[in-house]
Amino acid sequence: MASVKLTNVKKIYGKNTLAVDNFNLDIADKEFIVFVGPSGCGKSTTLRMIAGLEDISGGTVEIDGVVVNDLQPRDRDIAMVFQNYALYPHLTVFENMAFSLRLKKVPQDEVYKKVTEAAEILGITEYLTRKPRALSGGQRQRVAIGRAMVRDSKVFLMDEPLSNLDAKLRNQMRAEIILLRKKIDTTFIYVTHDQTEAMTLGDRIVIMKDGIIQQVGTPTEVFDMPCNLFVAEFIGAPKMNTFKTELVFQGGKHYVTPYGAKIEVNGDKALALKEKGIESREIILGVRPEHFVLADPKDPGAIKCEILVNEMMGSELHLHVLADGEKLIVRIPTVSLTDDQRRSLVQGTTIYVTFEGKVMHFFDEETQTNLLV
Amino acid sequence: MRNNKTNKQSLLGARASRNISNTIIYIVLVAITILWLFPFLGIVLESFEVGTKAMDSNLWPIKFGFDNYIRLFTETKFLKWFGNTAFMGVCTALLQTFFILSMSYTLSRLRFKGRKGLMNMMLILGMFPGFLTLILIKKVFHDLGLTEAMAPVGLIIVYCASSGMGYYVSKGFFDTISKSLDEAARVDGATRWQVFYKVIMPLSKPIIIYSILMGFMAPWGDFMMAKYLINANPDGMNVAVMMQTWLSKGLLNDNYTMFCAAAVMVAVPVTAVFLALQKYYVEGVTGGAVKG
Repeated sequence: MASVKLTNVKKIYGKNTLAVDNFNLDIADKEFIVFVGPSGCGKSTTLRMIAGLEDISGGTVEIDGVVVNDLQPRDRDIAMVFQNYALYPHLTVFENMAFSLRLKKVPQDEVYKKVTEAAEILGITEYLTRKPRALSGGQRQRVAIGRAMVRDSKVFLMDEPLSNLDAKLRNQMRAEIILLRKKIDTTFIYVTHDQTEAMTLGDRIVIMKDGIIQQVGTPTEVFDMPCNLFVAEFIGAPKMNTFKTELVFQGGKHYVTPYGAKIEVNGDKALALKEKGIESREIILGVRPEHFVLADPKDPGAIKCEILVNEMMGSELHLHVLADGEKLIVRIPTVSLTDDQRRSLVQGTTIYVTFEGKVMHFFDEETQTNLLV
Repeated sequence: MRNNKTNKQSLLGARASRNISNTIIYIVLVAITILWLFPFLGIVLESFEVGTKAMDSNLWPIKFGFDNYIRLFTETKFLKWFGNTAFMGVCTALLQTFFILSMSYTLSRLRFKGRKGLMNMMLILGMFPGFLTLILIKKVFHDLGLTEAMAPVGLIIVYCASSGMGYYVSKGFFDTISKSLDEAARVDGATRWQVFYKVIMPLSKPIIIYSILMGFMAPWGDFMMAKYLINANPDGMNVAVMMQTWLSKGLLNDNYTMFCAAAVMVAVPVTAVFLALQKYYVEGVTGGAVKG
């Protein structure tokens, strides 16, 4: 259990390949923080710098108030779970989990107690005598987590631990990690490229791109108020629809005019626009697929579009539509549709959709930042 | 129907021509095998021949017995020379394996300035024949007192000194072991050295055995460097130099069958070790070859 503080951390590979730049973050004791971003954004590199597996090119990393830049991984009191499990193939599950304790020369009784306790929690007691090659992917991942658990270390690092598992097992393990977190109750730093994992696991999420932090916030904050277009499109699945349009300030009210429709901005967003003194201008508008609804053609806010693809997901339909030549994704819960409606939503059909005035996001065309942040 | 018949005929024709070519290939292979085995068989048979000491015209001994072996061990210092060579073999195998594995692991895992240059330099240096340094080594070792009776120690140093340059096969092997194992062990609290011997070594049995085998076999066949350092001192001799001495002194006619017995004795340990470890040897060579 410890806090972790990164100040102006920088990583340069070779002479001038900047992998991480100006990384500043305070991670509180017992916090579960998730680094998320596309491949090559520097999230794993940052984690490896905290672990001591990569040299730090600039700035400082502190664990529990102690600068650890020059400490070896074994002196940092951290535990780490790797993407490919990294189990020792020549050792049994028991010995894999006991490896760190044996190095510390912990008495035999205590080793036995700690390993069996961890195995009990993870449900792998019956595999303790097996070698890793005789285990399935999910079981191996549990052993890898168990190996990290027995160490009672200050910080628990996880580098894409679920990426090698199939979709079903990934969902199951994700839920188990949430439960595990309650049992272990230490500081977690978790790296993933999967926004669902980030949203469901993290107390706070750090969204990264090209080695730079884009936004740090709770899942709700980054979902409801993305600070720029990148975060808006990265968080949420399917991704947010964004299109160029005009924001019109008329008679004390704000309107947006996508594809010839006219929709009034209301709720908190209207207040915020007024507070910021924003008047008529070109913007990039962002609307999440789930915020679209089917509309009456006569509604002034109705956007005419043609269905390209209809993806039936079970509880909802994902409609890929073309509005004025641009592609949009519309997500409609099947429960809200009549059988006739469901049958009519096929490729080539023209439909009308609209969205509420309080769920839109406004971005600056040039800087791509959120106008309300 | 007609089509079917044609197909059948052409299939049968293909089988017949395959049979003929296989027969020819096997005849050639058998002939080559006989040619290759003939000298070995001759030496083994001669070594058991009783009643004559010189080379004779009959390949199959008139009378079988162990006389040559008994003479070899009682009338000469063969046991001493055999022991010298075995001592060199064991020491070289152990030291050389240690040097090669440490070197290859370092080159596989650590990134330091000049690593590529060093690897290329060693590869190029390794292409020069070792005896280029013969005279210099003889001079230096003579001054250090590592020739004549002390030659086995000198020779061990010669065999091991540049052994790190033979890093490429084992480095290729280490490259195939995931680096995250090293990282996991380092996070778990291991030093670099503990990672090497607690995690990497147990996974590297094939390459360890391959290195031991190579190291053990080298001294048995070495003649040139050994001859220079030993300089005909009977206490420092290895088997190759000793046997060559019989030839050069014109003693062969008196000792031919004993020479054969000595040759068989030399082949025994090398063959035994090789057969026992053959499986790993192949794994070691191909294991390194998968990824360079």
